Amino acid sequence: MTITHHPSDATLAAFASGTLDEMRGLVVATHLSLCARCRDAVATLEQVGGTLLEGAEPASLSAGALERTMTRLDAQDMAPAAEVVLAKTELALPAPLSRYPLGSWRWIGRGVRWREVGVEGDDDIRVFMLKAAPGTRLPRHKHNGTEWTCVFEGAFHHALGRFGPGDFDEADESVEHDPVVEDGVPCICLVTLQGGIKLQGWMGRILQPLIRL
Amino acid sequence: MRDDDKAVIGESPADWIAAIAARQDRTAFAALFAYYAPRIKAMLMRGGAAADAAEDLAQEALVTVWRKSAIFDPARASASAWIYTIARNLRIDRLRTDRRAKLFAASEIPAQQEPERPDGPLDAAELQECVRTALDQLPAEQLRVVQLSFFEGRAHGDIAAALNLPLGTVKSRLRLAMGRLHHLLGDLT
Repeated sequence: MTITHHPSDATLAAFASGTLDEMRGLVVATHLSLCARCRDAVATLEQVGGTLLEGAEPASLSAGALERTMTRLDAQDMAPAAEVVLAKTELALPAPLSRYPLGSWRWIGRGVRWREVGVEGDDDIRVFMLKAAPGTRLPRHKHNGTEWTCVFEGAFHHALGRFGPGDFDEADESVEHDPVVEDGVPCICLVTLQGGIKLQGWMGRILQPLIRL
Repeated sequence: MRDDDKAVIGESPADWIAAIAARQDRTAFAALFAYYAPRIKAMLMRGGAAADAAEDLAQEALVTVWRKSAIFDPARASASAWIYTIARNLRIDRLRTDRRAKLFAASEIPAQQEPERPDGPLDAAELQECVRTALDQLPAEQLRVVQLSFFEGRAHGDIAAALNLPLGTVKSRLRLAMGRLHHLLGDLT
């Protein structure tokens, strides 16, 4: 897998500092599970956090803090190393996604299926999977907010390049695009939309009520 | 701490975590607690937590270190970076339940497949040294944004408001700081 499109530095920084909402964080985590380069970048940023923590002026603890914490240890089981159980699906899903309940694929229009990802949260943000047949032209749309996509299989292209497996498409207000799925295999991706997305065309009319933005 | 205790449990935080994993060593736990709990409390208070909530969460973080000690891998992360991620995730879970949107706890992302990486993963000790150097060399305005983001856990929009800067400036300062880090890391390999 050759990944050419990555999350922006600001997005990786928000992810590593723990300030991304869960849905956008999930799409970034999905990319990370496929991208060694960005995992290294996040490890570097987590070291930034660790170094700042080392340099912190220590706050004084209340009397007996260590003893109270020691008594809490007695109730703890020592770590069985956290095994990530992958959900059984037709597609080997990236691990971060497999922790969430997935709806069944629903046909939403010519060549396009949609699948809900069960993340509770904000009314203003959605996360879902899309599966689009080769050659499908996705609805032209503009953003008032953000649209972040991580591709699992297949590929699409638009004015900003070709997005294949592992690629991360980080679109914001400045982008109006018109993605086309490549010939060959269906394109399967994870998408999160935040803020007002103006979908146009026939599929926009179908998708808009589903995602209720 | 007596010298012979030191000889038994080692001197670095990574050694202390290893001693906890190997034999539930409470002397090592006490050493780790003495170093990290007051710093985690300070970090959370700078991020806006009340003193008692920050202290409770600092204690919880050290209990989590105890519980997860067996999965700590010193080749992958320094003790400080690992403990930072634990404190960060607890902050997300506990202090921000009032927010409309839940935040993503970015812990332990397993690789989906064996990646192609001819030069191998970063060495955690080299990375730690490099990050220290880079932070020492950052211009004050970039360091401020890095501290607000990573130490205080503030969202970029909040940082922009606090510093009275456009959001784009906050992001570009972060990008410049990260560029400095990548540059130093590049020199290492």
